Amino acid sequence: MAKKTYDLLFKLLLIGDSGVGKTCVLFRFSDDAFNTTFISTIGIDFKIKTVELQGKKIKLQIWDTAGQERFHTITTSYYRGAMGIMLVYDITNAKSFENISKWLRNIDEHANEDVERMLLGNKCDMEDKRVVPKAKGEQIAREHGIRFFETSAKANINIEKAFLTLAEDILRKVHVSGHKF
Amino acid sequence: NFFCLFPNLCIVSPCYNCIFLPSVRSRVGGMEFGEETSPALVFDKDAFDLTVEDVYDISYVIGRDLLKISGSGEEVSDLQFRIVRVLEMFETLVNKYNLSLEELRMERDNLKGELQKVLSEQGASREGTTVGPNQLVVDLTDPNRPRFTMQELKEVLQERNQLKAQLMVAQEELQLYKSGILPNAEAAMVEVDLDTPPASQDIFITSDVYKLKPQNMLPRGGR
Repeated sequence: MAKKTYDLLFKLLLIGDSGVGKTCVLFRFSDDAFNTTFISTIGIDFKIKTVELQGKKIKLQIWDTAGQERFHTITTSYYRGAMGIMLVYDITNAKSFENISKWLRNIDEHANEDVERMLLGNKCDMEDKRVVPKAKGEQIAREHGIRFFETSAKANINIEKAFLTLAEDILRKVHVSGHKF
Repeated sequence: NFFCLFPNLCIVSPCYNCIFLPSVRSRVGGMEFGEETSPALVFDKDAFDLTVEDVYDISYVIGRDLLKISGSGEEVSDLQFRIVRVLEMFETLVNKYNLSLEELRMERDNLKGELQKVLSEQGASREGTTVGPNQLVVDLTDPNRPRFTMQELKEVLQERNQLKAQLMVAQEELQLYKSGILPNAEAAMVEVDLDTPPASQDIFITSDVYKLKPQNMLPRGGR
């Protein structure tokens, strides 16, 4: 009898302004590492990470998008296949927070209707440079009925928790709907 | 003698110098130069540099030299008259030449100005027509200039991600063989669906145990 390498495959997508740390968040989660040099993602990339939830091996295929406007035609075509989308902003960058509504609109336009969404305020280790209060992040998340975490890829704060929570939420949906993946 | 201001120099009667070359009158009257100084230098000048003032200097010098010729015979008198007449013609020619030269200079400067205006207008209009607000000028000598289309990039990225997915699957399988979990090749059926729909360039990795159809991987209720 063949051994299966995983039970379920979840496809996740990371979006948000350029430089907020999407790639770093993913790199921390997949490789438990951090790199300070900023390398702008070209178009779209992905990483695989298998986690275990409720006795099930779940393979997460996590798509990392370029935040730069010039790649948007490429990145938006990946929204539709995503089961979960992480919208990342930078707590030290007000503009990235202001753009959240723009990213949410993108999700509405291009993603599946029942996609699981999550808001992340990254770089929470840089308290001295913070310009977006945690309460503001919580408020906007509440308004849109989505989960919120403040994370730090550098200090490894809430990264795994965020991904596992998103995966759990998708798993719950799968169970509730009785849909077999 | 008609109102001659310099009777010493008058060589003819009536005084042609003073009548026909009036500036000699004013010049001498104003005592701008001494009797023995500069006027003779005018003979060293280039013909095209001569001014009307120079012509008056020439007439002054010639008049003075004529004075030195002794006698006042009829031949000398006729010659003096003709010399004055030639000097008068010379004055007219030099005057005309200088005026024409000045006119041409002004004309040239005007044309230069107009040319400059036309050129700058043309430059501005050319910029306006070839480079619009939404257009980009590409330096063809820049080795790092943009030269691929978004579609090409999209295809390259898609291929890269497909190969990456295949590599991951292969690595996973290799790991299973190495660890002895998979004893034979038939047991490991790993399928990578490379026929990705154009709307979502997705990669579907499935195993034989969990035969996954692309639509099954998407949450239901897609639009």
